[in-house]
Amino acid sequence: MSAVSAARQPVAVIEGRDRPALTAWLLLGPCVLYLVAFSIYPLFYSLRLSFTDLTAATGTGNFVGLANYYTLLTDPLFWNAAMNSAIMVTAAVALQVVLGVALALFFDLDLKGAWIVRGILLLPMLITPIVVGVMWRALLNPDWGMVDWTISAIGLTPPDWLGSVGMAMVTLILVDTWQWTPFVFIIVFARLQGLPREIFEAAEVDGAGPIVKFRRVVLPMLMPAIVFAAVFRAVDAFRSFDLIYGLSYGGPARGTTTLAFFSFQNGFQFQNYGYAAAVAYSMLIIIAVGTTILLRYVQLRPGQAR
Amino acid sequence: MKPARVIAYLGLIALGIIGAAPFLYLAILSTKKRIEIVAQVPPTLNFSWAQITKNYSEVLFSQGMLSFTLNSIIVVGLSTLIALVIGTPAAYAFSRLKFAGSDRMASTILSMRFMPPIAVAIPLFLTVKAIGLTNSYAGLILPYVSFSLPLVVWILIGFFDEVPQEIDEAAMIDGATRIQTLWRVILPIVRPGMVTAALFGALFTWNEFLVALYVIDSRALQTISLGAATLVSAQRPIDWNIAATVGVVTVVPILIFSLFIQRYIVRGLTAGAVK
Repeated sequence: MSAVSAARQPVAVIEGRDRPALTAWLLLGPCVLYLVAFSIYPLFYSLRLSFTDLTAATGTGNFVGLANYYTLLTDPLFWNAAMNSAIMVTAAVALQVVLGVALALFFDLDLKGAWIVRGILLLPMLITPIVVGVMWRALLNPDWGMVDWTISAIGLTPPDWLGSVGMAMVTLILVDTWQWTPFVFIIVFARLQGLPREIFEAAEVDGAGPIVKFRRVVLPMLMPAIVFAAVFRAVDAFRSFDLIYGLSYGGPARGTTTLAFFSFQNGFQFQNYGYAAAVAYSMLIIIAVGTTILLRYVQLRPGQAR
Repeated sequence: MKPARVIAYLGLIALGIIGAAPFLYLAILSTKKRIEIVAQVPPTLNFSWAQITKNYSEVLFSQGMLSFTLNSIIVVGLSTLIALVIGTPAAYAFSRLKFAGSDRMASTILSMRFMPPIAVAIPLFLTVKAIGLTNSYAGLILPYVSFSLPLVVWILIGFFDEVPQEIDEAAMIDGATRIQTLWRVILPIVRPGMVTAALFGALFTWNEFLVALYVIDSRALQTISLGAATLVSAQRPIDWNIAATVGVVTVVPILIFSLFIQRYIVRGLTAGAVK
């Protein structure tokens, strides 16, 4: 300890000569300025837009105060989208966490050739989400899709995957799960591989069965990684609309129109910039409140999940 | 072999099929005529070279997916490079020069990754339009740098943190300034970190299409994800053999890319990357 502080002493002297404040700003300046110009300024621009009735057609928006937010709160389409988002995010994240942890434990068995399958499982999350949506639309096609053919071949009746309101939401959740379970798996698996094995062995010596060992020893130690993965998945599932764009385009009957897709439709398809900005801001508030509450319980630091 | 072991291997094979079969199916559909997709269920494996050439030349040349891919490479390549040049010194500063509010500033930068796309896409589009850069590479590169920058900074902070401070101190005692220390001593050490940051920053913008949807009107300048989106949108009925070919054409570059990314993926993901 004293060796370290002794080593730090001369550096402080050098730093004094080196003008650390200037150095810090030289290093940070470009990045901070860039983000102010292209991330923070747009965010305020968006806030201002949400108080106007700007559309692509009118060109100039009039200040309308909180009118967009008022419309929003009384718009049944907004509440429909909010409900769909809540269902989609909750179900998808829950499913992906359970499956992701199960996969991590499974790959911990260290089967021969498992690395090949692990490599395959990485692929879905790298693929453009629109393409994932279209691919599954083909697989689930009621007339010629392979999934329906397989289900019929074993004598069952395939569900109307994308044709009915309730089922389309289930399908969206399943496809999102196919694409993103590997994300949870990789993070939890990395943590699991890094844990000291002696603790598991000690639990076995003390007579803990596999279930008790998992619940009392393994799971608590995996928790930081699980929470980390769940937070990222929840935010991404909440804000992404491109899978829906490829899979169902929000339909049928708005059954898969989440808030993200609703904001996309207002902003791009209907070119209703003011209203879309208000929807986006409501999402921003939900994300901010949600993550603030979550981050009270966990701290995200680089490398913390490893 | 124990029966439990056999079941485990069957499970492993099943997982491999669940992961890979959809892509193989897409690849098979991309070799068919439009009517064959409807008529052959399940699709047969007798491939016609003429039909494959027809589908792929239609998608790559007539529909322009090849030039979309080149556009993407230019836009994503340049924006990732700029993000790396701006982001690396910033990440180093966050890792080494602790000052009042530096932690808060770093987490503000990470939180930018959480923004709903539409919240920034419209203002970015209006800004790009105001400076007259719609329908240009620059109109996409400028916003894309700001998308990959938070990721790049965040991943690199983790890598810089792993380099012992004593190395900087030794260099500075030898008379190097902070910036010389970073450039000559630390950067060579964190090169894998820079690769990781670049790969994930690139992936993040490679799949982006909302800003592109706004900024790019001209077909000639479309990126690969925008091109795929306009060709296979769920809005209207599509020719499935062409849609499947479009799918394969977008998957192949990512497949090649993923071979390079394997080594870095855990680091990248755990630092909060992807999409």
